[in-house]
Amino acid sequence: MIIFLAVIGPGIITSNVDNDAGGIATYSMAGASYGYSFLWSLIPITVLLIIIQEMSARMGVVSGKGLSDLIRERFGVRITFYLLLALVLTNFGNTIAEFAGIASALEIFNVSRFISVPIAAFLVWLLVVKGNYKSVEKVFLIACFFYVTYIISGILAKPDWNLAQKGILSPTLDFTPASLGMLIGLVGTTIAPWMQFYLQSAVVEKNIKLRDYKHSRTDVIIGSFIVNIVALFIIVACAATLFKAGIKIHTASDAALALAPLAGKYCSALFAFGLLNASLFAASILPLSTAYVVCEGMGWEEGVNKKFSEAPQFYGLYSLLIFAGAGLILLPKLPLFLIMFVSQILNGVLLPFILIFILIIINDKKIMGEYTNKRGFNIIIWVTTIIMIGLSIFLLISMFK
Amino acid sequence: MKQASKTFLFLTEILNLKVIDSEGRSVGRLADLKATLGELFPKINSICVRKKKDRKLFSLDWSAADTIDDNVIRLKKEEETNLFPLEMKEKEILLKEEILDKQVMDTMGAKVERVNDIHLLLSEGELRVVHVDYGVRGIFRRLGWIKWVDLLTNWFFAYQIPDKLISWKYIQPLASDPAQKALKLNVTLKKMHEIHPSDLADILEELGKQQRTAVFKSLDIETAADALEEIDPKFQVSLIESAAEPRASDILEEMAPDEAVDLLLSLPEEKKEKLVLGMEKEKREKLRELLKFREGTAGSIMTTEFLSLMEDKTVKEAIEKFKESSLPLETISYIYVTNNLDQLVGVLTLRNLILSPLETPLVELMNKDVITVKIQDDVDKVAEVFKKYKFMTLPVVDEDDHIKGIITLRDAVDATFPEFQE
Repeated sequence: MIIFLAVIGPGIITSNVDNDAGGIATYSMAGASYGYSFLWSLIPITVLLIIIQEMSARMGVVSGKGLSDLIRERFGVRITFYLLLALVLTNFGNTIAEFAGIASALEIFNVSRFISVPIAAFLVWLLVVKGNYKSVEKVFLIACFFYVTYIISGILAKPDWNLAQKGILSPTLDFTPASLGMLIGLVGTTIAPWMQFYLQSAVVEKNIKLRDYKHSRTDVIIGSFIVNIVALFIIVACAATLFKAGIKIHTASDAALALAPLAGKYCSALFAFGLLNASLFAASILPLSTAYVVCEGMGWEEGVNKKFSEAPQFYGLYSLLIFAGAGLILLPKLPLFLIMFVSQILNGVLLPFILIFILIIINDKKIMGEYTNKRGFNIIIWVTTIIMIGLSIFLLISMFK
Repeated sequence: MKQASKTFLFLTEILNLKVIDSEGRSVGRLADLKATLGELFPKINSICVRKKKDRKLFSLDWSAADTIDDNVIRLKKEEETNLFPLEMKEKEILLKEEILDKQVMDTMGAKVERVNDIHLLLSEGELRVVHVDYGVRGIFRRLGWIKWVDLLTNWFFAYQIPDKLISWKYIQPLASDPAQKALKLNVTLKKMHEIHPSDLADILEELGKQQRTAVFKSLDIETAADALEEIDPKFQVSLIESAAEPRASDILEEMAPDEAVDLLLSLPEEKKEKLVLGMEKEKREKLRELLKFREGTAGSIMTTEFLSLMEDKTVKEAIEKFKESSLPLETISYIYVTNNLDQLVGVLTLRNLILSPLETPLVELMNKDVITVKIQDDVDKVAEVFKKYKFMTLPVVDEDDHIKGIITLRDAVDATFPEFQE
């Protein structure tokens, strides 16, 4: 039991960060625009999340190296460079989404984005570069109890459980750009590429021994379930309130109405709090993780314990991500919620390519020894990869029709 | 191999080039180069060729190569240029598979670097490894952008990004021999031991698990003990467990007793017992004593290695003992004086000794007002005493005033402010 407590963390933290601004936006829009009809996707997504995260954790425990490191050693600098470039662009999109979340949440309190965003960017940057991140992490984690409000709200809203059940059990998909985008977005927000890198690094950080590995597996499984239960209730709550009333989400205050059954007129404030917490939490982790991953793969010095002059690429990239990300949000008239959603579609498009790399590495006996993938896992992931690439192609085609 | 003068080239410039025989028929593509370790600049002994049909690697003796030009490697016209299945002998290393894009130890700069390219020298028919390229110029070259980047930097800043190369003689590759899981040592093993233990600990912390274990395994007992003392506690346990039990016990014996005790306490009971039993009797007894002390007391942070003499001994004998001691200066700045009942009666500093006539008995010179702490005293009380008197070490005594150990200022700080240990 003690070992379990020492080993958990990576899976549970990753899943809480998973429900970031992009996540809340995507799940809310799924519920508001489609009612219960996307609930079915949560089941395969949960299964996939568990499998993929288990692979990341396994690679981390067996090799003791991060994913970027493994990719560099196996594929060389050229491929690594282009992959990291795609990852940086996607993560940049996600970072913009986090700041969109911050702006959006504080606008509910009528705080102008020109005040909220620069201050938030600066605070996050300061926290990571100068401050003690570890103790603040605990605060963020506790604030994640906010998600319970969706569960309560979802139940109080008296959703049509029959419809919900139908939504879960019978998959439907019309191949319109909007629906395709939504499906890709749902996958992308739950199984974000940057999280695979982050989880593996976190597992390596903890220096988990091979014999304690099964505890990591449990950690990952619990984390995945938490993510998807929260996702389920966000969708249900929005379906029962917004979809039923025919309200489409354009801003955060629209999305907040999903919490009305629980909080009444305080739903906006409650929602704003949750969105702000989720966005700040992710904004502290995501750009930092990106900087680590890039420096690891390219062989540059990294680490917040190093001075700026010792690790210029690390600090440079990190600062650029934060301040450019925040800066873009300041452009007037940006549809914040839409940005949050689209960034998750980017995740979904990049994911299959990362999966291909992971599959090659995890089946390489030289790296994994006897811990290579079982046949079943390989088949599932290959099928997923093909489906995801297929969906992306369909999306592209249907956008140009 | 025919060529006029010395040429430098990069490994990635010749990787994947077509290998053709003297009649122009394609034999395959250059997949890797095999070198023999042991000289200052290792010589390439074989070309590894990948045939188009199957994906297996074959090796071709280097002497079969005739010329290398921009896109092709031409073989000599011999009766047969023999292709053998690739076999790795002892002390041989593959450049692409084991060094390129991997991490290596730079023993001069005491850091870990990622290899972007390998610099080779072609001279008088021999190809040798001379440098490792770890700079950003190497990255641009491999991306194929170097011409454009040079153009840009020249045009804007009249600057060209320089090559960052480390001479091979300082490089310890981290490839391990799969059989023994030990490092394939480069001739400069001595250099690895010259790295300061704190830097070595930093390097070990930065490496992946297998490499860390392999490097640790190749260190001699003393260096291993020093590095282990400095390394982050979370790695200490897995490293000591990775060592074979006799070696692990030896390493623990070399470590400062208080550090060894801390490490032992974080091991599972069974393992701890085995390692302690494997140590020599004297050290074992000492450690067992220390292990008994409850955490958070003076006894648990003290070390049993200190200098003490009886009061009837002379300054000359004290200086002799000081000279013979191999303990670090911080623990022997004070010499403790005991009576014939082995009780602590006085203390001397090094300065006292040096400024006094050699024949003076210690009892006349010593400071009789010794400030002590008891074994069961709380760590916080110890810190208070340090704060008040500002000594470098404090003696720890038992109920009968026998001196049992000393606490250094550093250990007291570490115990009261654990965050400084990072």
